[in-house]
Formats: sequence, C-alpha cells, structure tokens
Amino acid sequence: MSESVKQILNRFQSDAYMGRQGRVYTDTSDFMRITGGDVIVFGDGHYLVLRDEVERSYGVEDPKYWVKRCRHLESGERRLLKLVFYEKFFLRMGDIKITCYRSPRKEARILDLVRGDSRFMQGFSAEDEKGNTIRVLDVVKGKRLDNWIYGLDVDHKTYFFSYLPQILEKFIGACEAIAYLHAKGEKHGDIRRDHLWRETRSGDYVWIDFDYTFDFHENPFGLDVFGLGGLLLYIVGKGFYSQKDIIRIFGDEKQAPDMEPGDFLLVFKNRLANLQKIFPYIPKELNWVLMHFSASASVYYETVDEFLSELRPCLKNMG
Amino acid sequence: MDTNKILVAIDGSENSKRAVEYVADIVKGCRDFEITLLHIERLPDRDVFPEEDAWKKECVAHRLKIESFLSENKKMMAEYSIPEKMVSTDYMESCDSPLAGEPSYCSRGTSIARDILHVAEKGHFDTVVIGRRGVSKAEEFMFGSVSNKIIHSGRDCTIWVVQ
Repeated sequence: MSESVKQILNRFQSDAYMGRQGRVYTDTSDFMRITGGDVIVFGDGHYLVLRDEVERSYGVEDPKYWVKRCRHLESGERRLLKLVFYEKFFLRMGDIKITCYRSPRKEARILDLVRGDSRFMQGFSAEDEKGNTIRVLDVVKGKRLDNWIYGLDVDHKTYFFSYLPQILEKFIGACEAIAYLHAKGEKHGDIRRDHLWRETRSGDYVWIDFDYTFDFHENPFGLDVFGLGGLLLYIVGKGFYSQKDIIRIFGDEKQAPDMEPGDFLLVFKNRLANLQKIFPYIPKELNWVLMHFSASASVYYETVDEFLSELRPCLKNMG
Repeated sequence: MDTNKILVAIDGSENSKRAVEYVADIVKGCRDFEITLLHIERLPDRDVFPEEDAWKKECVAHRLKIESFLSENKKMMAEYSIPEKMVSTDYMESCDSPLAGEPSYCSRGTSIARDILHVAEKGHFDTVVIGRRGVSKAEEFMFGSVSNKIIHSGRDCTIWVVQ
C-alpha cells in the first residue's frame, strides 16, 4: 500500500509543516485538484505542495494552477513545479495579434541546454507515472529587474550616470545569453520585464520562463529581439514614458518638447522611444539603438548580434 | 538564345497562386524558358503539439495540401498553353520533417528567403518570382518579410514581386 502524506512527512521529519495534509499524487494530469498540503511524487523526489503560484499584475493576483510552490522533502529546499498545461492563446502587441502556445517540451529542452549557466533559471524535468513532463525549478532569490530599477530612489540623471553603466553591462550579458539560445536554434519566446530577474546575492541577471513558443517562419527570433528592445528602453529610461508622463515631467504642455508619432515605439505607440528628447544627456549612439524600435525606423535589428554590435560601443562611451 | 530559367516560390496561398498566374501570362507564347515551382516546407512547430502523432498527422496533411497545390498550378500553366515539359516542381523538405528521406539540402527553418535564394543560385536561375502578402511595418519587424529579404539579398538574378 502506498504511503499517506502523514507517513511521508513523518519519514522526512518535516515537523515544521502544520497545515492541511492532503493526498499523494503520482499522476499530475488533473493539476487543478492538486493543492496545498498534497504531496507530488515522481522520479526520486517527494514535493510537498505549499500553494499555487500567482502572477501579480496591477495589484490583481492571477493564480497559475499549473505552477505549484513546493518544498522538496528530501532536501528541504523550495522548488517550483510546473505541471503540464497546453495552452493556445493570443498575445496582443499594439495592433498585432500573435498566436502563442505553452510548451512544456520546449521548456524542458531549454533547461537541459542551459544547465549550469547562471544567466538562466535552473532546473530539470522528469515524467510522472502518466508521462507528464514536470519541470522542477530552483527559485530565483531576487527581484524582477524592472522592479529593482524602479525602486532605486534617485532622479533619472543620477540613475543614468551612477547606475546605468553597471546595469547596461549586465544587460548586455543577458542579451548574450539570448543570443546563445538563438545560436542553438532555441528562442526564449516571452522576453518581457517580468522575465528578467536580478539575483539579490550576486546581482546577476537571470532569465526565467521558457515555455512560450510561437510559429514565425521568416523571422523566428524577431519577437525576442523586439522584447530586448523594450527592456532596453525601460532600463535606459528607468521606466516607460507616455505623452502624459512627458507633460508631467515638464510641468505643462507648452514646456514639453514637440513629439511626433515617429518618436514613439513602432508597436506600442504610447511609449516614447526617443528618450533623448526628454533626457538630453543620453548619448546619440544609445538613443540611435532605441530608435531602431520606433515608428520612424527604416531598418530593424534582425538578430541579437546586430543589436549588440551597436549597443556594446554605447557602454564603452559611457565608461 | 539562352534558356531563361524562372523560379516561382509558392507557399500555398492565394498570393503565390497569383504569382504563378502572372508568370504564365507573361511567358505564354514565348520560347526558351523553363519554370520551376518551388515550395520550401514549413511544418507546424513540433513544440505546439502535445502528442507526437498529432504533429506527424499535421505534417502529412501539410505535405498533401502543398503537393496538390503544386500539381494544380502546374496544370493551370497548361491552360496558358505552356508545354508541360517546360514546368517542373521542387519541394524542399524541412530538416525537421518526420517524413524526410535523405535530401541533399533541407530547410533549417530559419529563413525561407535564404532557402529560395540558395535554390536560385545552385540552379542558376535567371529570375525569381514571389508573391507578396502586404504586411504592415510592425508585422515586418516582428515576423519578417520573405519578399523584402529576397529583394535585399538576391544577387545575379532578376526578382519579380507580384502583389
């Protein structure tokens, strides 16, 4: 007869756990039923489920029922378990609708590819008794990079001269990590602000979440390059700036510099790309890189290497 | 006079059908030409299918659809009184295809334009013809544009882009 949760917890001397003692799951297909107090058993491991992961956006918590915050009972370490959830959904970027998919298979493959590479979240995959590919992820101990930058309590000019050179250097390292994936025929698939974290102890930047994929044929890495451009814009600007924000910065509309549609991003038309107009100390070379993502651009970066070949000299000039 | 070799890239869309019709209309009554209808295989991404079998089924369906499209377009050329022997078809397999044999060259799936230009160069084609979808600037940035890439990268051949 298989063990109960109580027996398992006793065996691992997990006396700190005082909550609900639920069921033991060896088949994770019905992940909605698995909740705090249950134990998931697969491979050589026992994982006590603490709760479902949640995504926080604009103060609203959106539960991700297929991602479980767990304690690995053998080691006592915290782990995230991503259970199999196939999802097709539409991502809207400005006027463009992109069909995206969630692929456990892709994420499992990338975890193997980047094992030991601290630029990426670490983990491994294993199958449960029904052949579901579960991804076991180490928890990144840190903060989202954008939140960390936002939280730096300095004005933009101080930020630009005192913090940005170090941040940009690390960001270039993060871009090189994405170039590495592309060279191996893989894409991150969902490069956005909440998927680049800053590890507290080392200060290193770590990419997370590789399970998104999409079916672009001519420009398979285009969305990743676009995502890097958006991140760079946030990093250089210490935030995004809409027309309203610009007026707020300058006090009133008359004081604010004239803006044209070409000064804003090509896809998100309310985000200023031409940051030099509001922060004139931004060097023209760096601004030029940002302008490649603007509505006035006539050439685009097709690869991360092209993007980096113009971004690296900007860092040198800032030193 | 040298034979003019024309490569028409088709993807199974209405735009590519229009490109074939355009070529047929231009060359009808001419002599000394050869037309190749080329398809670069673009299979659905394996990662988006939960099951291997479902993906393979989709790959088979894709291939059948395109083979039928190639054959229909070849027949359509005959309606323009273009002799059958002047028209051939070429199906470049994806390197990831579960149905692939051992092709001498396969598509790695990173650029259709590059694959088309590779065939054009190796086959010494004089003219490359491609249909155009008409994408927005933002779409071109995100998804890429085969016709634009061919216009910019094509060498030693004439390029016709059919709208």
